[in-house]
Amino acid sequence: MYKDLLIRFILGGAAVMISYLITVMSPWKILAGIFAAFPAVMITAVLMVGIASGSKKAAKIANGSVFGMIGGVVCVATVWTVLQVSGNWALSIVLGLVFWLGSSIIVSTLRDIIKTNRNNSVRVNILADILVKHK
Amino acid sequence: MGELSISGLLIRFFLGGAAVVVSTLVARNLGEKAGGIFAAFPAVYLAALLTVGLDFSGNELVAHSILLSKGAIVGMGINILVAILAGYLLPRQGWKRGLLQAMGFWLIVSMAVVMITTYS
Repeated sequence: MYKDLLIRFILGGAAVMISYLITVMSPWKILAGIFAAFPAVMITAVLMVGIASGSKKAAKIANGSVFGMIGGVVCVATVWTVLQVSGNWALSIVLGLVFWLGSSIIVSTLRDIIKTNRNNSVRVNILADILVKHK
Repeated sequence: MGELSISGLLIRFFLGGAAVVVSTLVARNLGEKAGGIFAAFPAVYLAALLTVGLDFSGNELVAHSILLSKGAIVGMGINILVAILAGYLLPRQGWKRGLLQAMGFWLIVSMAVVMITTYS
């Protein structure tokens, strides 16, 4: 638990620090933004599940994180658009958070619906197999 | 942001780390669904964006935030590819090798994007 939080703290802190270092020292300004999006949470989650439960479960965490990342893309795209349109920094962050939450809820709900439909179709197939065998 | 300072580096390290840890703790204390949503909170990006506000104000703040967001949207696109690749590699190569290869892919694609956007 504490080891997990410590790794997250170090990776998250290092990503923001490197992003700042690049902004000050490097001519490649876009790299600062790429580091600001560093997948610290996904790496730590995969690492910890890999240690505790093995590669297959770690792969499931990696696949599942794709859905969460869609909300991140929406958040950054909102901040970028609001900054371009209004030039209001505080408003861009607030709207970024609102759109992140909204899009994450939509993606999570759609994911649940897809999972339920898939489970239902598997159950129907199993029942159909049992009926065929009994005939 | 012309000069690099040790205090500036330490503040960013602390704020970035704290943002990730706090969002993790919030995610763990919420229910399964809300916790799953908060587990993907873009804490690193928001911490980086907020710390831009330490050095700039007005139009400069907006310009630097746009630049940071431009890079971050590319970075998040790369992250999605990395996560899909990790999901493919981990069961085949083992989690240690698979994760290392996925991170190598992240580095190579990031540098390729930097080269293309800077020198083309």
